[in-house]
Amino acid sequence: MSISIPVCTTCGCAVFPPVLLCPRCGGSGWSPEPVQAGLLEGRTERDGTAIGAVRTSLGPVVVVRIEDGAAAGATVALDDGDGMPVARSVAR
Amino acid sequence: MAGRPQALIVGAAEAPYARHPDAEVTTESLLADAFVRVLVTAGVQRDAVDGLGVASFTLAPDRAIDLARKLGVRPRWLMDDGNGGASGIQLLQHAVRAVEAGDATTVVLLAGDRFDRESFRRLVDTYNRATQHYLAPLPLGGPNALFALLTRRQMDEHGLEREDYGRLVVAQRTRAALNPGAVYRAPLTLADYLAAPVVAEPLHRYDCVPVVSGADALVVQPGRDGVAVRAFGALHNHDGQEGDGLRTGLAEVAGALWRDAGFGPEDADIVSVYDDYPALVLAQLGDLGYAPDGDLRALARRVGEGRLALNTSGGQLSAGQAGAAGGLHGLVEAVTQLLGRAGDRQAEGARRAVVTGYGMVLYRYGACANAVALERA
Repeated sequence: MSISIPVCTTCGCAVFPPVLLCPRCGGSGWSPEPVQAGLLEGRTERDGTAIGAVRTSLGPVVVVRIEDGAAAGATVALDDGDGMPVARSVAR
Repeated sequence: MAGRPQALIVGAAEAPYARHPDAEVTTESLLADAFVRVLVTAGVQRDAVDGLGVASFTLAPDRAIDLARKLGVRPRWLMDDGNGGASGIQLLQHAVRAVEAGDATTVVLLAGDRFDRESFRRLVDTYNRATQHYLAPLPLGGPNALFALLTRRQMDEHGLEREDYGRLVVAQRTRAALNPGAVYRAPLTLADYLAAPVVAEPLHRYDCVPVVSGADALVVQPGRDGVAVRAFGALHNHDGQEGDGLRTGLAEVAGALWRDAGFGPEDADIVSVYDDYPALVLAQLGDLGYAPDGDLRALARRVGEGRLALNTSGGQLSAGQAGAAGGLHGLVEAVTQLLGRAGDRQAEGARRAVVTGYGMVLYRYGACANAVALERA
């Protein structure tokens, strides 16, 4: 239950969507890092699809499909849904 | 010192925008229409054209060279620009340099697109690799949801309400009523704006630029009579998409732009700001220095009261967004005003203008930002 975010193998900088050269150090080596959760910073709905922006624990903001009623400000769990980042409320 | 020629914009024209173009209308027929119109308005013969620049999302697989042949032009200077809302100013920047360097003497710049439902869907789903891989399959269905999120961030940061954006939208529609070329000219009230169907909260119908088909054109030549570019400013990919999108690259270059222009924000008689969404209009105006204290609410009120000659064509929000033509639309309007040819909407005595370009949503918001300061020569 996670999504994967590339992290620079030289300086540890996380960037999403992927880039070729690290914006900080110029390095070109990347390793995928699993990310389980983040903060849902915003939520909107378009044509019945809930779209949100999630600040991941590694730093980068990921645009996701929200699978439940998670509201802005909530901590959400991130998962890979057929290559798409999806988010849902963290079960309490 | 041998006098270097000064490049001037000597003509501006627009092929009529249409929400639903006739079946026989194509992207290249729109570009040809704008080409013919701009030659007529500038009083330039086709044989004199030795420079051609083109911006279009839907001209592919053709490029500027295909268009050169189909228009009967033999250019010494030829260029394509694929940077959407920034392409108009980019093309102008290169054209001015080319004319001043003597690489060409008569440059025509064209931008336009013909869309139907299917070609527009294809454009927004395949805008770039990041969109193709990470956004289109959500499904995102175009940039509205991204700008809904951005608008909410701006509302939270600046204490803005829907009414603030509404005043700007209504003010532009009021100006559109005087522009026969605007697709949406019917009067709009703040109540109409607020009651419009939701697109993606907090964006409702009139916050989202209407997609149309059309084309725009400019002519650049050396000379004494026309519109001079006093300054260019650009900064693209200013934050690598790692910010919040509430500031554009203009924030970093506006100081140099006004310094080079020799005039300031309050001296501009015409202000054309790239307007795909009202939040971005306020953001760019703020970056340009129109809200020195950072008060975007007061700025929105000023715009709403008509105390800033903003997007005098009605802007893209009322005139329509014809794809890449959106990058030239504000320039065409500003040049038309400075040449004194704006008809019923002519701003009396307009001599100076500022025009911005914005766009290319790489993932969460636009990455391109540029601006020009213009003055009647």
